[in-house]
Amino acid sequence: MMKPVNFGIDLGTTNSLIAKFDGTKVHVFKNPVGQKETLASVVAYRPDRILVGDKAREYLTKDPVNVFGNFKRKMGTDEKYYVVNIDDNVTPVQLSALVLKELKNFVHTGEVPEACVITIPASFDTMQSNATLKAGEEAGFKTIFLLQEPIAASLAFFNESAEEIKKNGHWLIYDFGGGTFDAALVRSTEQELKVVDHEGNNFLGGADFDFAIIEKIIVPEIAKKTGIENFEQELRVKYGKYEKLFYEIMYYAEEAKKELSYSPSVMIEFTAELNGKKYDFSIPVTREKTDEIFLPIINETINLLKKVMENNRLTAKDINQIVLVGGSTFVPQVREQLAMQTGIQLNYSSDPTTSIAAGAAYYAANKYYESVEEEETTKAEEVAEEILSNIEFKEPELKIETSYNKSSRDKEEVLLLFCEGNYENKFFRIIRSDGGFDTGLIQLKAKKTEFLPLIPSVTNLFTLSIYDGDHHEIRSFSRQLSITQGKYTVDGQPLPHDISIEVDDVENKTTRLEVIFERNSLLPKKRTLYRSISKTIKKGSKEGVVINIMEGDKNSRPSSNLTIGCIKITGKDLSTDLVKGSDIEIQLHITDSRVLNTSVFLVMTQQEFKNVFSVSEKQISLDRLREQYNQLEGELMETVRQFQHNDNDIWEIKANALLEDLRSVHDKLFKLKDGDKSDEKYIIAQKIMSVSQEADKLGGNERISMLIEEYFETKQSVLSAINASDFEKDEMKKKFQKIEQSEESFIRSKNVSFIENKVKQLNDLHWEAYFNTTSFLISRFILWRGLPKEAFKDYNAAKSLIKMADASLEKERFTEFRQQVFSLTHLMVIADFTVNKDFKGTGIG
Amino acid sequence: MINPVLIINQLFEMQAKVKETGAAQNFERNFNRLFNIFEEDGYIIQDPTGEAYAETRTDCEASLSGRIGSKMKITRTIKPIIYQKRDGNVQLLQKAVVIAENN
Repeated sequence: MMKPVNFGIDLGTTNSLIAKFDGTKVHVFKNPVGQKETLASVVAYRPDRILVGDKAREYLTKDPVNVFGNFKRKMGTDEKYYVVNIDDNVTPVQLSALVLKELKNFVHTGEVPEACVITIPASFDTMQSNATLKAGEEAGFKTIFLLQEPIAASLAFFNESAEEIKKNGHWLIYDFGGGTFDAALVRSTEQELKVVDHEGNNFLGGADFDFAIIEKIIVPEIAKKTGIENFEQELRVKYGKYEKLFYEIMYYAEEAKKELSYSPSVMIEFTAELNGKKYDFSIPVTREKTDEIFLPIINETINLLKKVMENNRLTAKDINQIVLVGGSTFVPQVREQLAMQTGIQLNYSSDPTTSIAAGAAYYAANKYYESVEEEETTKAEEVAEEILSNIEFKEPELKIETSYNKSSRDKEEVLLLFCEGNYENKFFRIIRSDGGFDTGLIQLKAKKTEFLPLIPSVTNLFTLSIYDGDHHEIRSFSRQLSITQGKYTVDGQPLPHDISIEVDDVENKTTRLEVIFERNSLLPKKRTLYRSISKTIKKGSKEGVVINIMEGDKNSRPSSNLTIGCIKITGKDLSTDLVKGSDIEIQLHITDSRVLNTSVFLVMTQQEFKNVFSVSEKQISLDRLREQYNQLEGELMETVRQFQHNDNDIWEIKANALLEDLRSVHDKLFKLKDGDKSDEKYIIAQKIMSVSQEADKLGGNERISMLIEEYFETKQSVLSAINASDFEKDEMKKKFQKIEQSEESFIRSKNVSFIENKVKQLNDLHWEAYFNTTSFLISRFILWRGLPKEAFKDYNAAKSLIKMADASLEKERFTEFRQQVFSLTHLMVIADFTVNKDFKGTGIG
Repeated sequence: MINPVLIINQLFEMQAKVKETGAAQNFERNFNRLFNIFEEDGYIIQDPTGEAYAETRTDCEASLSGRIGSKMKITRTIKPIIYQKRDGNVQLLQKAVVIAENN
């Protein structure tokens, strides 16, 4: 069956890419290791492995006898590279084949490319072209088409340009990459593109801009400031004393070049130790200055471009556009000088980095090949039949077993590979799924170990792949390994309960728990919480903040939890007033043996309070205990009332008994003095906790079912109310979604107070929706308008508001009307339903 | 939209500069706080300075200073490693830019 080729490869001198036409557009694949589209065209033969790409490039200048780049320039020659580490020769074709094979790994769609289009420079002769074909074959491609790079670039731009393009005529392709420059003249007729002429320089590229910045700007500054003689010469000495600094400033120079693309000036700042003395450098680099130093480099490219035009007796008006290709065309001065010196319109509509690969893919979409997949299937069936007919059992050729710990607390874990059978001349490779680790190709042995580095506190996934002697992947051996770092291990000590901190729920005048360490998380654990102070505390006053660390169920009310650590900071401890809203930092560290270290830092006063608690020693704040008592008493009274209302006698009796039980500690609790040394407060705290836990069980499953039912009914009516509202709809929907998102967790908790709290939140939202609905506001207004004088705190003000609201209603100015009704509510004498008027809380919001 | 990676890089650079002035202690809390904001959002930020360097470390872009050997160490980090946790998976957002030397 004939299939479209679709895959296009830019096999570049410095970088390579692979792209695919998927029927509508071109997709450029990313390297699974590091997620970059480009692959450095460099191969490294390290002592025990083969690396291809960016990692190999790092060793290029350091280990030239084993690491090879720029081999594209040697394609078609009989030059061989002797590799010290493998004691053998490799050819540019073999090296190119390794790059092509690596590019095949970029294809994450599961398909194995059988055919492709590979681009070649316009200057490539037949020998060089044939060598490229050979490299493609060695990489496992069954069918290969070659395409000249300038044509690929033109194709990308013809296919991707949004403008209407006059397709007949001449085009110049200006290809300025990282290390090479090419200029080509392309002629287009109705349906055909042809490279007419070309010029190039294999040693001219974007890296020259970086060197110009170093040489002309940075080095003179360093020399001036330090007074070091011959600094420039010293800097360039291989393994010299300034080598580390050289790499650092090379990075800064490249960054400065990039930043100057969109900003007129940048500052290169760094600190360096030179000859035992520390220097701080702030070196300004302006566009004006780089214009000057980049010019000779740019002129060289423009001269080559002009040469192509002159050779073909063409002037600017004969050229439609100059198409820009290669990363260095991002430099603004390149574009300015090109436009100015040639007077020809520039086109940079396609991405200069990927356009050649994209063009190759467009070309590949119209090329077809005979797929060999089906042939192979038939062959496989024949072989199977033969085996069956001979009733022959064939030993598997290769067997690989792995051994490793599935969970680890170390930074790396060792993997053991055991191979049996035909493992000679086969390779393995392990890649971590996030792209942060890649072993490269390593020769298989009967027993092999490899250390796998782990990212802390997550599950690290690795893919183990096996390759044959020609470095083709044997897919049937591919497997995934998963190692969890820092979580469960057999000898680890997980937390038996959630550990939470009690914080204020100011709106509802109560407190709630916020989880710090979840149940089953592994000790030791450390965490810093950043919160704000929820009330102002005057210096010297008795008011304070309470850091109450509790152990128990994070979904239950604080009183059902056990206090395991408590720090109270009062106004007497403060150096200045502590204002509401100022920040508090709470650092908690729980050791292997469950000793809790707490450190509190008040940002406003810059004071630190430290405390170490042992979990066996209980810490209790009397104030908090009293408040917890009051809250629980209030809740129990409400529960009794509800059971009475539902005629649920049995549960009413139980609730009353609990209330009585709680009240039995009332007198003792409120008589106790701060600093009491007896065990009394611990006994009371224990009682409150047990009553609180029992209170959650009141009504049993029936009560929970009813609550869940109530939740869903309320939810439905709240949603209708929000949809019917006229104001702040989006805002309310967000609140609704927030409640809905936590639905699964609170329903699953089967915790009465937790579900009750959610129903309450829904009810509040219900009222909010009503007050955002015009018809409801009108009905309320009509009702309130007729109320007697005594119903308002300030009747005169109310009268004037009523008058204004009437006018707004008349003129249908509903936004104003709503505001006026709101103001009216504030003037009404309404009984305060708040149970706990003097709510103090913890002081932490 | 603000790119968090750019902000993290700036913070990292500021922290390095402060360390060089010897005033690191004064700002330690502030830096911890700032990095914590990103960590709570699922970013994992790592400074590999002092760690062993090998060619398998595709989480770093290294310049190798001095002669290469089997015991290379990262001696300078210009940009940190940044991972992002998303739907239970971890993705490398930025490779560190480092200088590695032979021990």
